[in-house]
Amino acid sequence: MAEQLSDDELSAALAGEPSGFSAVYTVISPAVLGYFRARGVDDAEALTQDVFVDVLPKLAKVTGGHSGLRTFIFSIAHARLVDHHRRAERTPHLAEYDPRDDTRYAASAEEEALGSLGGITDFLAQLNDEQREVLVLRIVADLSIEQVAGIMDKTPGAIKQLQRRGLSALRELVTEKDHAAS
Amino acid sequence: MTGTREPQQDGSIQAMLRDSGLESSTELRGSLEELRALVPDRAPAPRADLAALLTAGAPAAATVPTAATTALPLVATAPDHTEEALPAGVSSLAERRGRKRRLAIVGGAVVGAMTLGAGAVAASSEDFRDSVNHTVGVIFQPSGETPDVAPKPAKPSPTDIPATPAPSNAAGATAQPTAGNVPESPGSATPGPRTPAATPPAIGRGGILPTPPHRPVTPGVPGLPGRGGDRVLPANPLPEPTLPVELPTLPAR
Repeated sequence: MAEQLSDDELSAALAGEPSGFSAVYTVISPAVLGYFRARGVDDAEALTQDVFVDVLPKLAKVTGGHSGLRTFIFSIAHARLVDHHRRAERTPHLAEYDPRDDTRYAASAEEEALGSLGGITDFLAQLNDEQREVLVLRIVADLSIEQVAGIMDKTPGAIKQLQRRGLSALRELVTEKDHAAS
Repeated sequence: MTGTREPQQDGSIQAMLRDSGLESSTELRGSLEELRALVPDRAPAPRADLAALLTAGAPAAATVPTAATTALPLVATAPDHTEEALPAGVSSLAERRGRKRRLAIVGGAVVGAMTLGAGAVAASSEDFRDSVNHTVGVIFQPSGETPDVAPKPAKPSPTDIPATPAPSNAAGATAQPTAGNVPESPGSATPGPRTPAATPPAIGRGGILPTPPHRPVTPGVPGLPGRGGDRVLPANPLPEPTLPVELPTLPAR
């Protein structure tokens, strides 16, 4: 995210030139990957690549400059994520045996210490789905309220509300964890 | 990770917190920065179909030269290994194909060289040729030679009539019609009468007129009539010239 897409690269991408595609992929795919990771997708890289295979040939239709491109890509990523979750609901969850998930297993002192550091994804998982989506799109995808509103098909006011509630819930979780750890 | 973020982006988190009236919560801010840190620094290595799309551009713009790419090297560094012409994850089969062809060529060259060498040795040394002839003969002839060897002993048979006759007959007939025939008949029974009978079948090749006079002789033979009798007659007539030659030998014995 440190690097930004230049205007030349943007116009090249919209014209369907490989240089533009590469630039778009290089600049935006990390954010898409982070978005999928934050939402707990098991194979986030594959989904990211699916998104770009889907998106790149359609760039010619994109309007709205840099923010329009970003909104377009994340709207497709969002749709992919929804599909992914729906599919995951229908298919039985296959998991290898992981000793750490075994309830008969007692955590070591080191693991308890590390676990007390907390994982942001664990906290996010306890939020309501829309709040979580808003926070991830705002922070990981680095989108504005209006962009998120466009992607989630809601009004900016609703997004603001979701964001506020989500942040409050998150703060409670975080401080609660801090109290429990101390 | 957070150290690399631009202040403006950290500011966006700050702004979010401010909008929600939560700017005082440092724990929450730390968590949100942790969330932002989920974004990797580099783009993931594109898999094969995506890499093809990145290098080739949109289908409509496929003619755009790939050399113009500026950002592609950045992407290309991510995969573990990339070849110049090929996108990451796509392996060329041309090399493997070439290897197979090369193997075939080398094999052919080796076989050709060995053939030439063997030919040169054979041309230069007599011994080699002989030994090869011998070995080849040993390998391919055993079934054919044994019969051939047998007939030769049969030839002497005219002198030792009793022993050789029957076995030699079958094999020896090919080599010497006249000689072989004569021994046959003696083997079966008395020499005198049979010789005439034996001769007719073997002599068939001779094909000469004088045969008719001999016919009376052949019927006299007990064993032969069944075989040669009348049917063989056309063939029998020929032997006659040989008969006279051998007949004297029989009486001599």
